[in-house]
Amino acid sequence: MSRLKEVLEAGVFAVTGEIGPPKGVNVEAALREAEEMAPHVVAVNVTDLQSAVMRVSSLAVCKLLLERGIEPVLQLTCRDRNRLALQAELLGAAVFGIENALLLTGDHMVLGDHPEARPVFDLDSVQLLKAATELKAGRDLSGHELDGTPDLFIGAVATPEFEPLELHLIKMRKKVEAGAQFFQTQAVYDADRFKQFADAVSGWGVPILAGIVLLKSAGMARYMNQNVAGVRVPQELIDEMAATPKDKRREKSAEIALRIVEQIRPYCAGVHIMPLGWADVAAEVAQQINEKTRKEVESRIQKLQNELEDLKARIPAHSVPPDMLLQQEELENQIKHLRALMPQ
Amino acid sequence: MHATIQKPIEEIMGYLKPGEKVFVFGCSNCAAKSHSGGEPEVRRMVERLRKRGVNVVGWACPPNGGSLCKLSATKQLVEEHKEEVEQADSFLVLACGQGFHTVMDATDGGLVHPGCDTVFGGETVKDDLIIEYCSLCGECIAEYTGGLCPLTLCAKGLLNGPCGGAKDGKCEADPNRDCGWILIYERLKALGRLDNLRAYQKPKNNARWSRMRSLEVSPTRATFRCLAGEFTVSQED
Repeated sequence: MSRLKEVLEAGVFAVTGEIGPPKGVNVEAALREAEEMAPHVVAVNVTDLQSAVMRVSSLAVCKLLLERGIEPVLQLTCRDRNRLALQAELLGAAVFGIENALLLTGDHMVLGDHPEARPVFDLDSVQLLKAATELKAGRDLSGHELDGTPDLFIGAVATPEFEPLELHLIKMRKKVEAGAQFFQTQAVYDADRFKQFADAVSGWGVPILAGIVLLKSAGMARYMNQNVAGVRVPQELIDEMAATPKDKRREKSAEIALRIVEQIRPYCAGVHIMPLGWADVAAEVAQQINEKTRKEVESRIQKLQNELEDLKARIPAHSVPPDMLLQQEELENQIKHLRALMPQ
Repeated sequence: MHATIQKPIEEIMGYLKPGEKVFVFGCSNCAAKSHSGGEPEVRRMVERLRKRGVNVVGWACPPNGGSLCKLSATKQLVEEHKEEVEQADSFLVLACGQGFHTVMDATDGGLVHPGCDTVFGGETVKDDLIIEYCSLCGECIAEYTGGLCPLTLCAKGLLNGPCGGAKDGKCEADPNRDCGWILIYERLKALGRLDNLRAYQKPKNNARWSRMRSLEVSPTRATFRCLAGEFTVSQED
């Protein structure tokens, strides 16, 4: 079973990472990045031809992660595959043992390195989520029965900074209705805006992983503000990066990321860190987040243990009522489960 | 209408063999609106070809704003220019791909050269501007989107709402263009019909968008044929 799903369902603050496959067959560097983050994250996303640039497929790299004992999240976009190929990719992922899929529209190919390619978009992200939900129910998009059903934990993306937000929320709601089990957001830098966004979707019961893109420099922040949709780095953070000497940028980047996570932590189920090559910083940030998470989980376990002790004290020596035993077993299981989901 | 743009003269010249006798056809409807094949453009094309040494044996445009893509009318036009047409080795067509094929039919399989690229079906917004608002998908959903087609206005043709790529209201694929979904949202909001957007739109039936398609028509019924099947609609009651 997907550990990401278990962690989110248990309400344990989740941290995920991300790698981008290479253009060419030298995958070692990307795998090293994943390995560097792996001890501190629940799962690692593998992007699907990010920015519409041709690379190794997400599926292949997800399989390599699995072989290294790392839980992957297959990213799958609507840009390059029609409905047959999309469903086939999800079945293929399930056959390999990949348990998480993040289903998204995908950047337009004019932004990438094959701008003359035919844009597919046979399905949109809502329809793709619906297709995945159908597969999980044992049917394809045409209603034909499957021989063996994939077990996938399926996620969707969200953009808290989207304007107008109301329009974005309408689409997000459709994603939930189509079966999205978690959301992963575009980079968050403005905690107030994120809170406003999170409040709007808090009643939906779908966990949100807030996107954390590590700031590498003031120039990168300005570039994102100008060129990356849905990303807005506040001027204070740009100034802060600008005032940081080059050799201190990694520390500063981690510090800023942790500060944002601290601010938004009450409003999300976890964070998705996009390291853009700075896997060491991502690992460091994840470790720090986990420290607090462990304390939270410890305190939940302590509470359960107190309940358990209480219960045990009330259990009579003879003719024990069966519901008390069941309750005891339930508490013991919960404690065991939480321990198993405790981040490293 | 079919929006067309003339091919560069060098490309057209490349189609013509030395000494080839050419007859030029224009169209008085869409190509005239596109200023790619109306009478003035056809006259100018004849001059430009002659200047380059091409033997142009004649030219013709349908009368009274007529379309070149109506076979019966184009047959008549061929008949009216019988002599020159018979002399011609080939026909340069300044019209859309439909008009181009019509000339082939009207000349019993004559050799035709496309003089234009057919770029889209559009609205002639002004005399000098044509914009595409329909993608000819065969399955209109504009009722739910306030009359604005998301398949056409959205660069990705998304049916259930915008991608996350819009920046300052502009499309991720082209920052000079408004995000089609934001336009749809604003229009529906103004119409008080935002609820339209909440319904799931199922994937397109691309078989209705399959090529080649045909339509058999009469004043009372029409039959559309495509890979999705045959669809007859009565217009009587």
